Amino acid sequence: MNMTFRRGSIAAAMLLAQANSADAHIVGARLGDFYAGALHPLTNLQDLILWGAMGLLAGSHGAAKGRWLVVVFPLGLLAGLMLGRSFGIVSTAPTADAAMTLVLGLLLASAIRMPIAQLCALAFALAAIRGAANATDLGPETDRALFAAGLTCAGYVVITLIMALALAFRGTETTASITWRQITLRAFGGWIAAIGLMMVGFGLAS
Amino acid sequence: MTRNGRTMFLRIFRCCPVAVAGLVLASPALAHEQAGVGGGLMSGLLHPLTGIDHLIAMVAVGIWGAQLGAPAIWVLPITFPLVMGLGGVLGVLRVPLPVPEVMVALSAFVLGIAVAMRLRLPFVSAAAIVAVFAVFHGHAHGSELPGSADPLAFGVGFVASTGLLHLCGIAIGRLTRWPAGERLIQGLGAGIALLGGYFLAQSLGAVA
Repeated sequence: MNMTFRRGSIAAAMLLAQANSADAHIVGARLGDFYAGALHPLTNLQDLILWGAMGLLAGSHGAAKGRWLVVVFPLGLLAGLMLGRSFGIVSTAPTADAAMTLVLGLLLASAIRMPIAQLCALAFALAAIRGAANATDLGPETDRALFAAGLTCAGYVVITLIMALALAFRGTETTASITWRQITLRAFGGWIAAIGLMMVGFGLAS
Repeated sequence: MTRNGRTMFLRIFRCCPVAVAGLVLASPALAHEQAGVGGGLMSGLLHPLTGIDHLIAMVAVGIWGAQLGAPAIWVLPITFPLVMGLGGVLGVLRVPLPVPEVMVALSAFVLGIAVAMRLRLPFVSAAAIVAVFAVFHGHAHGSELPGSADPLAFGVGFVASTGLLHLCGIAIGRLTRWPAGERLIQGLGAGIALLGGYFLAQSLGAVA
């Protein structure tokens, strides 16, 4: 028993002596700016609502049209970030954000079928505006490439996941009748439009 | 000192470092902090739930929509938030509406009667009644929005809360499939109308 205990103690001591730091927090390895870029929009309710609404709208249009946004939306964010930094556009007016929320909500609630080009143009414009707004966190010491990579990855993940969820929830349009799933998606549009409408009013009042 | 006393003293002594560490490391609980997005969202979610007249009226809207069937049952959840949003804008802009409290109480009374009597109005008439009441409900919520911790989060909270109340009403209204369920719903409508009547009398100053 004693021998076993001694051997175990020696093995444990050797393991402890050889232990290195885990480096689990790669923020210290200059990758912090990547996380800053990825988390900046996810900690902002305005971005969450607008990105979510865009994902739902794309999902409600079906996979054939919506899949284009997987590429277009992150590219729009990247373009907006670069433009925002280059031209000093730091943020959009709250009323403009609210108006975008209202438009997206109305499009989703009314279930208007948009052509692919229009849907992509809308997504690109929205992403570019939000990308420019997210440039506010770019300080002089921020690694722009890492921040842009983080923001773009976040945009890709969020839009893809929400669109996929909406597609899976909505199901395929096998019949012409209105299903409760489509009504639910349209009701979400009504909620989003109502929020946008009130925030437009709030923006005008303040 | 007796043996029991010494044991007790030792136990207390051993607990002291833990107690001291707990005191030193203690931070404020902030359990009732109504600040930021969380505070705005919470106050928005609770606003339609804490006013009983709002709550019963919203549930009654859902039940009546379910009783009326298509297209009311699916037009209602899509359009009601929008019309309520219009009322919300009036509230945010401080545009005064006539006797808002009376109208909110009246909405519970009228919608309760509609549910209790299974009132089958034409869709346009039913939509017009609900729309008028939606504006007043939206106005009541919207007037609270500028003063909230986070206006956007407050808006998200109260729109979601109202929508979920409609959903509750629609779910209850599906009981109309069964004869016993129908009677239960009519009884519920009568209860809503009674409560609405009480709030109406209260807002008119008839009762304390």
